[in-house]
Amino acid sequence: MDFFIWLEGSALSTWVREADTVWAYPTVLTMHTFGLALLVGASGIFALRLLGVASRMPLHALRPLFTVMWIGFWLNAVTGSLLFMADASRRAVSVLFLTKLLFVAIGVVSIVLVRRDVFATGPEPVISSKARMLAMVSLAVWVVAITAGRLLAYV
Amino acid sequence: MDLTNIAHLHLLLNHVPTVGLAIGLGLLLLAYLRRSDHLKHASLEVLFVIALLTFPAYLSGVAAQAHIQDRPEVSAFSMEVHHDAALLAFVFMEITGLFAWLGLWQYRRTGGPLRSTMGAVLLLSVVSMALMGRAGNVGGEIRHPEILPAEVLAEAGPSTAWLKSSDISAVVTGYPWVWPAAETLHFIGMCMAFGVLLMVNLRILGVMRGVPFSSVHRLLPWGILGFGLNMITGMLFFIAASGQYVENYAFYWKVLLMGLAGANFLYLTVFDKTYALDPGRDAGALDKLVAVLALGTWVGVIYWGRMLPFLGNAF
Repeated sequence: MDFFIWLEGSALSTWVREADTVWAYPTVLTMHTFGLALLVGASGIFALRLLGVASRMPLHALRPLFTVMWIGFWLNAVTGSLLFMADASRRAVSVLFLTKLLFVAIGVVSIVLVRRDVFATGPEPVISSKARMLAMVSLAVWVVAITAGRLLAYV
Repeated sequence: MDLTNIAHLHLLLNHVPTVGLAIGLGLLLLAYLRRSDHLKHASLEVLFVIALLTFPAYLSGVAAQAHIQDRPEVSAFSMEVHHDAALLAFVFMEITGLFAWLGLWQYRRTGGPLRSTMGAVLLLSVVSMALMGRAGNVGGEIRHPEILPAEVLAEAGPSTAWLKSSDISAVVTGYPWVWPAAETLHFIGMCMAFGVLLMVNLRILGVMRGVPFSSVHRLLPWGILGFGLNMITGMLFFIAASGQYVENYAFYWKVLLMGLAGANFLYLTVFDKTYALDPGRDAGALDKLVAVLALGTWVGVIYWGRMLPFLGNAF
């Protein structure tokens, strides 16, 4: 706990939290929203494709979607850390926050697994029943993560 | 934002849905009369655009109401009645627009809209037209209380419409879970609409070139679903706490860009040249320019939306 209190008091955390400029907290939060839209947007499209939507989109041509997902993920890893630092002692013990973190982790793992499953089996990508299950899991996991994240603003 | 002219703006915008819908409906009837598929397609496009333009008409009306409600020469009661009548007309116009879009999408999907879609568009346009007319009629009474019978003014109690903005506001602000739940849906809708538009526009820009357009087109309903979800949840916020939006310049930017984003949906649904492109082929320079602008529009929508509490006063 001492660590989180120290973190919260650091110059960077104080700047994010208190600086009277639109470039501090508001901009970090906005970037976090862009990251969310990129990560979940791209991940959702790929998951829908695996579940049979727009099934004539060739899977191998959709590979760049994973680049979009990773851009979104790293953007949110950085901005999320900044937002956490600004309020560390409260967030570190918040069940809601830890739930969100857990579901984001599951979501990212599902992306890695689904990519491996679809593209690593041979020259031609295939959709196994495992890939379909992973697609459903990732859609559900993002809904939970977004809900938990959104509720953080109200508790 | 200077709101001196917001009532003026509403007087300008409020004619667009009424006159526009009449034109759209007229084109549709003419299309049936002359059995013209081109006219039918055009009428659906007009109806979708009018549904988009009904947004600023309604929003400016609420802003105008807040701006002039304390003036002695206007009737606050008439304004409330007009607001509720306009809200009902607005809701039906948006549903009409949704079905018009579905019809346009079906031109690609199955070569033409289903009969049930066209039936719904026709029926909804007629109902919307009647509701628009009613809203416009009671709107005229706001500034002209002299045309109302004396007993109506004497009995002026709360509005008796079955869809009342004050009821919606009471539900959204009365239960502590409604606002956070609607915000959560708003973010999920954002991911759907942004994800689909990103995918389609990236394809136009030459990323994921191996994907044929005819297949990306199938994604569009998911984008429209997200767009619709956000219109509904967004309107819940606006009706429940209009005060924090009508005086917030970030909100006006967001509405403007939302309209352009809606127009981009229409463009991606109906464009011909790019749609015909085979996998591996590149879109034209003009389509690429539109794609860049469309993505910029979405960045703006998310930016101004997220900035509502910081640049303005919204929560």
